[in-house]
Amino acid sequence: MKVNGFFKDVTGASRVTKARHQLIESGNPENIYKDHIREVAQEVHPKVTHVKCAKVEDVSPTARKFTFVPTDGDVLPPFMAGQYASVELEIPGEDGKVTKTTRPFSISSAPFQARQGDKSFFELTIRNGKPGVGFVSSWMYANCKEGSTFTFHLPLGQFYYEPLRDAKKVVALAGGSGITPFYSMAQEIAHGTMDCDLTILYGSVSTKDIILEKQLSAIQSPRVRFVNVISGEPDYPGEKGFLNADLIRKYSEGDPADGNTTYFVCGPLPMYNFVNGELEKLNVPKRRIRMEVFGAPRDITKDPDYPKRDPAVYKLKVMRGLEETEIEASSLEPLAVAMERAGIPNPTRCRSGACGFCRCKLLKGDVFVPSVGDGRRYADKKFGYYHACSTYPLSDCAIKIEIC
Amino acid sequence: MAFYKDKYDVIVIGGALAGMSCALKLASEGKDVLILERHNLPGGVATSFVRGGVEIEATLHEMMSIGPVDDPLPMRKYLDEMKVAIEWLRVPEAYDLVSPEDGIDIELHAGRRDDGTWIAADEIEEQYPGSRDDVNALFELCRKVYESVNYLNDHTLSKFQMLKDHEELVKTAGYTAKEVMDKMFPKLLLNVKRILSAYWIYVGQPIDSLPFTIYAFLMGDYMMGGSYVARGFSHEMAVAMAERCEAMGVQYEYGQNVEKILVKNGKVYGVRTAHGEEIHCDYIASGPYPNVVYGRMIEPQSEVPEEARRYANAMPMSVSCFSVVMLLDSRPEDLNIHSYSVFSAETSMDTEKFWKQGSRLGNWDYLTTICLNYANPKGVPDGMTSLSITELPLPECFDGVTADNYFETKRRIAGQMIDQVSRRLGVNLRDHIVEIEVETPVTISHYVGSYRGGVYGYQHNMQNSIVARLADIERTTYIKGLVSCGSHQLAGDGMAVNINNGRIAAMQILAEMKKEA
Repeated sequence: MKVNGFFKDVTGASRVTKARHQLIESGNPENIYKDHIREVAQEVHPKVTHVKCAKVEDVSPTARKFTFVPTDGDVLPPFMAGQYASVELEIPGEDGKVTKTTRPFSISSAPFQARQGDKSFFELTIRNGKPGVGFVSSWMYANCKEGSTFTFHLPLGQFYYEPLRDAKKVVALAGGSGITPFYSMAQEIAHGTMDCDLTILYGSVSTKDIILEKQLSAIQSPRVRFVNVISGEPDYPGEKGFLNADLIRKYSEGDPADGNTTYFVCGPLPMYNFVNGELEKLNVPKRRIRMEVFGAPRDITKDPDYPKRDPAVYKLKVMRGLEETEIEASSLEPLAVAMERAGIPNPTRCRSGACGFCRCKLLKGDVFVPSVGDGRRYADKKFGYYHACSTYPLSDCAIKIEIC
Repeated sequence: MAFYKDKYDVIVIGGALAGMSCALKLASEGKDVLILERHNLPGGVATSFVRGGVEIEATLHEMMSIGPVDDPLPMRKYLDEMKVAIEWLRVPEAYDLVSPEDGIDIELHAGRRDDGTWIAADEIEEQYPGSRDDVNALFELCRKVYESVNYLNDHTLSKFQMLKDHEELVKTAGYTAKEVMDKMFPKLLLNVKRILSAYWIYVGQPIDSLPFTIYAFLMGDYMMGGSYVARGFSHEMAVAMAERCEAMGVQYEYGQNVEKILVKNGKVYGVRTAHGEEIHCDYIASGPYPNVVYGRMIEPQSEVPEEARRYANAMPMSVSCFSVVMLLDSRPEDLNIHSYSVFSAETSMDTEKFWKQGSRLGNWDYLTTICLNYANPKGVPDGMTSLSITELPLPECFDGVTADNYFETKRRIAGQMIDQVSRRLGVNLRDHIVEIEVETPVTISHYVGSYRGGVYGYQHNMQNSIVARLADIERTTYIKGLVSCGSHQLAGDGMAVNINNGRIAAMQILAEMKKEA
């Protein structure tokens, strides 16, 4: 470091030093800071997007479509059909405590609709089947009205058609509210801004369960085909039964094993297990199957690897910076949920263990991570980092999370 | 209780490799350090991501300056000294260069024998008889310069000692790599010079304007010690350093975007984060580029000296990154891929021409293809290939890109790059893609926040030589207590270099503290 004086005396070194001084002296003395790439990055990946609900519409006896438009001068970012949005919520409980949580919802509107000047909007279609099931969906049903404002994170997720990777022929295998990303894709294809052929096989128990039927049936495009598959109505005139191998083969481009069709699967967990088995029977190449993440398991104790323990409530110490808070954590719920119940903000997004936004460090204690939801990196496993949304306490624990 | 202490000795903005290295060094001297990182991961671009349950390296990844356990190079020594535990894997070869138009197709290996001859010199001799002696001599010259630069990193020398012991460095400091090759080795065949220029992309500067000091540092290091990758990808390196920082008492906070650097009477006294927290300190090691620091971070702006603005505005931006990162459904040998790193030239090797192509979007003729399997076989699932194709373009190539054409643009360019490599391999890679992500200057800007998506700091040309930067280090410190710590600082090209940048930033702060005391 102290060779400075010397360099100045040597011909070559002094030549380059002088050249640099001339360069610096030639610099503009004004503030000309501008960063075009940052501007694009901020528009494509906004930190948050503020919106208000502009319209609420029932799209089946059990599902409701919410339309959101940007506020506060925000602009909706471009996204790809199939991606999701995560909404921040503060939900007061009966005990007066406020739960701070987030929920991911596939965007059911088309990407082009988010980028049309002051007519820009996006939509979520949320199902609320049985009362009491679906803490957030029930709340949205009761409280999301025209004019309600929200903070969103979008776009997120990797469940989208990627022309560099996927076959031109796409078969969507949907169940329940898993239809929503495909409604987005179907509209985008019909609009001419997505280049593939889409056949949607939508499995429902009864015709009453079909979400967005009117909307999907109204799509006029030779490239989009919408087929309901009903398992619980023997007299249904169309496709009956489950999304099985025969049905999948029937709607595929040639032999599914040849890789000329890409399958997108979105629905409840039991459907994944079934459909996966059927795709395996058809010898579909792995790269032709795209699965959306499916949330935390309903009952973690049913996981085959879960150690034998009685349900318990543990103490969880949460470090944020130098601040330490002790809360209760049920063994049956992920650490993220314990923090939400205690009102500690915690940046969950996918809530399936995949995306890693809620990465935290385990300082003390034992935990369980279901292998299906373990999207962690090698070094995170090695050094004891966890995704709070898919980590269950097995003892009193201490963790360090991001201050947010 | 509050999230932060009332005051820290040093706040490090940005918990990437330089920031963590700086914090480690300061903590090892007993200083109270806070790292504020905007992302939720450490390491900046030294990171990885998971797709479909498979971890994928995010970086063009070749760690220099590690060397074998029994013959360690400076970075391995430094990380050992700091007790940063990383599982290093040696990359089998130095590089392949394929340039069909020049008739070049060669693979070189690192290694210097006890008698002072080099394995790569023999490999070149085999195809270009008569070159061995000159290549050996060039490598020896590079090694000597490399060792001098390393020595000078840590020692103070008299002028006499300098001339006596570091003659090669002194003699070549004022010349470009091309000038040294042409003038000192006039008999070197053109193709041999082309082969020996392949690494230019690792500094993002063409041979015609690259200071020989940098060229020699790069060649000396890589050809002597080989290159290494971490078993747990670049992310392992980042987490291992973050862990060590915390073990040393450094407070490391994620998700904290520093918006303002607070200055009073020409001296820093703290920062303000996007959450509105004001945190105080005596010193700041800044990951953000001077352009950003002076352009929008210093508060109040009246505290920015005119010279600081001149400096930031004059510095020529070096490259950003455009990478296609893929997981493929076959083993590398079935895809005709046989090496870890392959540089391929679509047209005759001309690094100046390739570098200039970096200011346009696409149709790039010089690509770097990295196949992780060959360095980290356990890091890739059986029967698959982890492959990346990279170009390091200049930020202005994205001038015409908007939020609306961004996705279409990146797909189009990625498609071009995949097809280029497919043609070379004789295998259509598009038929094998299981996962694909495309990293662009926008991606870098989004995750790392670097000015214009830069990854290598400022250009290493003769007007901005490392020798001059080192000599100028105090002269270009414009605000008391504010030190540059990152790729914009001294040398910016790559991970080991940035760890060294951080170490030097720490030494600068320690020296300043000593003066104050």
